[in-house]
Amino acid sequence: MTMQTLDSFQAIADPSRRQILNMLLKKSMTINSLAENFDMSRPAVSKHVKVLYNAGFISIQEIGRERHCILRQKGFNELQEWINYFDNFWNTKLKKLEKLLNEKK
Amino acid sequence: MKKDINHIFYFPHKPEKIWDYLTKPELLEQWLMKNDIKPVAGHKFQFKSGPAPQIGFDGNVYCEILEVVPNQLLSYSWNCGPEKGRITVESTVIWTLNPKDNGTELTLKHTGIYSTETLVMYDAMYAGWASNAKKLADRLNNITK
Repeated sequence: MTMQTLDSFQAIADPSRRQILNMLLKKSMTINSLAENFDMSRPAVSKHVKVLYNAGFISIQEIGRERHCILRQKGFNELQEWINYFDNFWNTKLKKLEKLLNEKK
Repeated sequence: MKKDINHIFYFPHKPEKIWDYLTKPELLEQWLMKNDIKPVAGHKFQFKSGPAPQIGFDGNVYCEILEVVPNQLLSYSWNCGPEKGRITVESTVIWTLNPKDNGTELTLKHTGIYSTETLVMYDAMYAGWASNAKKLADRLNNITK
């Protein structure tokens, strides 16, 4: 099965995935220990973990037989890039409006 | 970290004139983007501009007028995404116009880009990194002492 890569906004739009990130804020956890906190199956939890991994919110480290999930900054940085883009966008547009209005004076 | 977008501009023109440039499609297009805006609450319209694939923006913005107080306040939803039929960002744009010194102070607030849950998480994460960095620094200091 190929999984669609979701962007950062979609990755954290899902309540279960937000819950996973919130749990990982406190400490890194294995997929099994994460799954214990949910009613859904372990494969379902694993799928959410994969979405978060693909969007850059977590990294996975194999220690022995266990796979540990650790929070990663990258996913959050992408959200920040979005806001920076539109911050610049508005500033440029408003300057254009200023120029336009001053020409008409 | 930046959570909201805020801009304040002063124009030596009356609010009525600025209002026209915010609400008349042909005037708005001259400085912002192609659009079919109508300053009527509930009116749905679109902005079209060039895409920015690096942030997942296809250049189309889907909007609905939320609030209109002529010459004073205009707000609309600002939703967009990476391709047709996929909305990944739901946000709100709020314009306010205040008469000031024979002109107008125009403020723009582009908000709601982060949901409250995201903000809480982001803040907690940054706090976590800061404290981890401090722990590391303390440990390194102890070693070198």
